[in-house]
Amino acid sequence: MKARAVKGIVVKDLRETRRDRMAVFWIFVFPLMWVTLLGAIWGGSSPPVVVHVGAVYFNESAPFTASTLIGIMENVSVDGQKVFRITRYPDESAGLEAVKAGRIDVLLVFPRGFGKNVSSGLQGKVYAYFDRSDPQKYQIASGVVKGFFSEFEREMAYRKLNITLGYVEAYFPKNLSANFSPSMVRAYLVGMMDPIDLKEEAVTGERPSPIKFYVTSFIGIQFLFATMLTVSNLLFEEIEKGTLRRIAASPATAWDFLVGKMLSTFIVITASILIGVVYSKAVFKETVFPGPTGWLIIALSAVFSMSLGLAIAMGTRSMKATNALVNLISMPLLFLAAIVIPESILPRWARPIADYFPLGTALKDLRLLEIYHRPPSEVFPDVAWIAINSLLMLLIAVLLYNWAIKRLQ
Amino acid sequence: MRAIEVRGLRKGYGDFIALNGIDLDVDEGEVFALLGPNGAGKTTLIRILAEGLSYDSGEIRVFGEPLSKKTARLIGYAPQESLAYDDLTVRENLEFYANLYDVPGKRVDELIERFKLPAKKKAKELSGGFKKRLNLAVALLYDPKILVLDEPSTGLDVPSKRELWELIKEFREEGKTVLLATHYMEEAEALADRVAIMNEGKVIAVGTPEELKGLAGNESVIHVEGILRGTEAILREFRAIERENVLRVSVEDARKALPKVVEALVEGGSEIRSIRIEEPTLEDVFLKLTGRGLE
Repeated sequence: MKARAVKGIVVKDLRETRRDRMAVFWIFVFPLMWVTLLGAIWGGSSPPVVVHVGAVYFNESAPFTASTLIGIMENVSVDGQKVFRITRYPDESAGLEAVKAGRIDVLLVFPRGFGKNVSSGLQGKVYAYFDRSDPQKYQIASGVVKGFFSEFEREMAYRKLNITLGYVEAYFPKNLSANFSPSMVRAYLVGMMDPIDLKEEAVTGERPSPIKFYVTSFIGIQFLFATMLTVSNLLFEEIEKGTLRRIAASPATAWDFLVGKMLSTFIVITASILIGVVYSKAVFKETVFPGPTGWLIIALSAVFSMSLGLAIAMGTRSMKATNALVNLISMPLLFLAAIVIPESILPRWARPIADYFPLGTALKDLRLLEIYHRPPSEVFPDVAWIAINSLLMLLIAVLLYNWAIKRLQ
Repeated sequence: MRAIEVRGLRKGYGDFIALNGIDLDVDEGEVFALLGPNGAGKTTLIRILAEGLSYDSGEIRVFGEPLSKKTARLIGYAPQESLAYDDLTVRENLEFYANLYDVPGKRVDELIERFKLPAKKKAKELSGGFKKRLNLAVALLYDPKILVLDEPSTGLDVPSKRELWELIKEFREEGKTVLLATHYMEEAEALADRVAIMNEGKVIAVGTPEELKGLAGNESVIHVEGILRGTEAILREFRAIERENVLRVSVEDARKALPKVVEALVEGGSEIRSIRIEEPTLEDVFLKLTGRGLE
């Protein structure tokens, strides 16, 4: 390999890129836009869940009524934030209209006699109508509402138990064995009523930050999409200008040319990545700065992506066709390879793409390393997989380059 | 010594035969012109020599050695189109090619000085003449023994063309061999020691401009200028070329033919500005050999 020829190609490409306003926009302004936009949307902590509840009930004169229960619901709060937002409806049909229109997540209908039954120690019936058009929203609303009722029932049961135990203690026979006491009866009844005593303890674990997630997405976009597009355009400019024939006729080899093109692209994209990373730190106080293994993964993935871009450019016959094909390949992959969205929300059929497509693997590993702080040894088998694929793709690019040169002649 | 020897060279693009058995010898130190209309095969021949374009059969030797990447280093090539990257300055363009060919940086300074190039100007800001000079500077970077120029003066105004011709003459004085492809017969006449006339992928005549003009025999040319009408009859009866208000009629006996030509033009309603009898040019020779003009 001729180092001076490679250097010449790199320096020339960097100079051209620096003077191309569109390139400067994509490389230096786009990262700032991306990080700002996603940081503003997803940054910060997630707000607590609020469930919109509709209530239909009748006025009663019992000690405990549906109105009392709704009042308790209205005051339930987590971290100072009210959990239920209650809207009262005059009848069931008005409430159901509100559910169908998506104005409330659930409608609770308390039939006449609810207060009287509950106050008398009998069972009170409640009808809950959930909006099930959005499964995720339904799961949250159903979980929160049922959780509230479960807790409410437990509280009522304890109160009834205490009243009952008061009578038990008052009338408990004194001549029974020492092994059978009121406290034992109480423990038995509590165990029957509430067989598992779940103690909730707060543990502050490592929560993946949305900002960090989207900084890695940005890195993924740059080394999947931007490198592929940049390198293929750089090559096509040489073909259309007629300078590729000249370069091919010079002492520079195919490897010199391809390595030069890839290095210049990688330098430009690395600069862009660094701008995005530093900007995120400056504005959102959070960022991801890849470690050595992270950079190794980025470099290998960039080789794969650039080789793919070069192969596409040399297989097509115009810059327009190249751009169209690069977009056609990279745009779906940004999603299907879980580069801009979490893998957990991918449909089952798309999971293998995220797991085995080298760039999907690369981003998954980058996140494991930089967001979840897993040890590098955990991702080494994947790094080997990415390296093998990158080398194969590079060989394909070199073969296609030689073929393209022959075609040009 | 022979700088370039070409024997039986054939090259086709599918059904189209671009070169149909070319034989050619270019001597060291001479300016050799390939003269022919567009599509004659000049650029294909030049690209085989200078860019390593593949060919179907034949043999090429450069200073006695078969054409290869090694001998290609003896050939500097200035193509018809600009080789410069628009957003780079003249110096940066030369530095790029110097890096590709592993040429010392001081050679860039020498060439900028020699061709009086504006080093800091971007290539896209250069005039056509300076772009051609930059192409020449790139071709001369590694000081090749042979300089191959494809249509060097196409697109240039008259003063730029004259300046370029002076540079080409300088190359010859320095002992370089110059092979130039052109479809301008005045360029071939002004610069070339020898000319090969090409048509439809073949070399149809080779010699000095004088020798080639001799192929026209005792013919002379009636050169008519003006607003010409009714030339169809002349073009039918004589061997003639009409271009941009100029009619050139090749004739054996000018005194006999002149009245007929003038009569036909006057009858057609032409407004004749001037008429003169000239010696035949290379274009007239081309016309005699092929039956058509150079352009």
